[in-house]
Amino acid sequence: MSDEQQHEPSGHTNDLPEAPSATERVADLAGEQAAKPVAESASEAGEAPAVHGGKARPADPTDADDVLTRSMPEEAPGGVERNEADAEVLAASRSRTRRAFVGFGLGIAGAYGLRRYLQGAPFDEMIPGLLHKTYGFNADVSRAVFREHGMAPSYPVSKAENLRVNGVFGLKKMLQPDSYRLQMVGVQGASRHPRYVPDVTAWRYQYEAAASHEDQGHDSKTDPSKVMSSTKMAPEEMLAKTQQDENGTGRGPRGLEEAGESDSTLSRNTPGLLLTLDDFLPKLPKHDAVYQFKCIEGWSQFVHWGGVRMADFLEMFPPEPIDGKDPKYVYLETPDGDYYVGYDLKVLRHPQTLLVTEMNGEPLTQFHGAPLRLYTPLKYGYKQIKRIGLIAYTNDKPDDYWTRLGYDWYAGL
Amino acid sequence: MTESGEGAAGTTAASIRLERKHPLAIRWMHWVNFPVLFTMIWSGILIYWNDSDNAYQHAHRVYRVGVGGWTLFRFFPDWFYKLLQVPYHVTTGLSYHFFFAWLFGLNGLAWVLYTWLSGEWRLIVPQRRSLRDAIQVTLVDLHLRKGLPPQTKYNGAQRIAYTSCALMGAMMLLTGFAIYKPTQLHWLTTLLGGYEMARWLHFWTTMAFLGFFGVHVVQVILAGWNNFRAMVSGYEVQRVEAPSVEAERKSWS
Repeated sequence: MSDEQQHEPSGHTNDLPEAPSATERVADLAGEQAAKPVAESASEAGEAPAVHGGKARPADPTDADDVLTRSMPEEAPGGVERNEADAEVLAASRSRTRRAFVGFGLGIAGAYGLRRYLQGAPFDEMIPGLLHKTYGFNADVSRAVFREHGMAPSYPVSKAENLRVNGVFGLKKMLQPDSYRLQMVGVQGASRHPRYVPDVTAWRYQYEAAASHEDQGHDSKTDPSKVMSSTKMAPEEMLAKTQQDENGTGRGPRGLEEAGESDSTLSRNTPGLLLTLDDFLPKLPKHDAVYQFKCIEGWSQFVHWGGVRMADFLEMFPPEPIDGKDPKYVYLETPDGDYYVGYDLKVLRHPQTLLVTEMNGEPLTQFHGAPLRLYTPLKYGYKQIKRIGLIAYTNDKPDDYWTRLGYDWYAGL
Repeated sequence: MTESGEGAAGTTAASIRLERKHPLAIRWMHWVNFPVLFTMIWSGILIYWNDSDNAYQHAHRVYRVGVGGWTLFRFFPDWFYKLLQVPYHVTTGLSYHFFFAWLFGLNGLAWVLYTWLSGEWRLIVPQRRSLRDAIQVTLVDLHLRKGLPPQTKYNGAQRIAYTSCALMGAMMLLTGFAIYKPTQLHWLTTLLGGYEMARWLHFWTTMAFLGFFGVHVVQVILAGWNNFRAMVSGYEVQRVEAPSVEAERKSWS
């Protein structure tokens, strides 16, 4: 854009740049060709301008049927001819136009430069670095402004719907209920707890190949009869690494889905608790509520959740302080390590965050995360992990399945 | 502006002058909006493609034009998505959307502050006669009538259109926030009729914007170079006897 010139064009040609020759003249107003470039001396001397003989009025820029500005009278005053003064005005206009369009061009170049930069910049978790930083910035703004205090509206039970099954990562094998344990890592005084084990990763979950799933016939994005065939496996080299990581552990390879193995997967010999449901569920107050579940894909449904408050559960198993403070994060994982999410501890302590055991008044089905899943109205669906096998307090920002594929880690609603 | 030819006797006075039409700030904000809105709409389509309605049907085609069970048109057909290479780019869409939303919001806020503090709002906000003028102007545009109402910078139709634009921009921000933070800003989401309604409004306000662009571009082409150039350089060549916007600006203080 041009500099804003506050002073008025003086009408003196010595203020104007030299009139360009006809060849280098930038096409300006339609009809301006009628204005001859003025010789520098002419206007100074105030000579009478050369009268153009032609009767036909030169085309006037302002004759255009000006639909937008409409400041033109229907009929121009007759016999107006291009005179020197007009030529000066047009010359001033031309020089302004030239300057302005140079600025305009620079602006366009700048916009194009930003576009090129975004496309060519180093990518972080599959999106351009600057945009990835913006995810983090937006999250920081949200944390600062809202401090996770918002309370989602709840709805009458009559509004509740049957939740769509939208993904089955970490659920593809039927878990034998009696082999379920909840691994807990980073709990205060864990070593004195009766459920303490020196290596939580040594626990073996038992699976069964079910003839069919109990979720047959539900509104489901995944065909339950084809559930064993993953559409997108992790890339070859990732699978190789996964295999290597698990060699000799007996746990089997973890993180076989598209995003691959979690960076936060526990290493062997991580001590912690191995809890059964009976260790905590009967001792915590029951809660149920209908919230509007929102998926990053855009759809939303009202779901009736039942279970216990995550805040109550975490109070029962409080974190071991790190440097005298609560750890910042919590990491959750399915038993097979295929699906995993990271949370701010503060979000899990929100009164509406639930450890869910029931949906629509029924026990959770396999595809909805039996026996224990998470729901919080503070986050999108992809953070609502099903079939929780591990809850670990940590001060390192935990890895997150969909974040590895370009989605926002914070995912805050 | 200048009445040139002063002083020197015998010199014919100019029949035209340069009119300072658009202040620099307005021009900047106008042109910044162009790539920013383009990016917002493009990334919005990438996000919208991901959606399907709740019974998991009409994948990528949630919104429609229709009455009851009868549908005239669903947004958007497959060829449209293919043409724009939309499918499976939702993360691109989301990341661009939440970066450029800042530019859109800040630019809009700057525009509101500038027009308010500079007094330029007086040239844009509809007056009592604007609606009548707008109808007249539209009829003239359609070659059904002759004779335009008097105006300085903008006629009634323009005042209504540009003010609507500002309101639509505000609507985009409000519905956007209602969708973005339906838990933290639940009062806003509820005010706008709930989450799904906010999304619907977000979509249709976008459509209204696109409608405005269509008309806007056609009108600019019809108005011609002199008018277009003024949005870049700020100055328009005017007849001396035309009413002066600058004079009107001076009358405010």
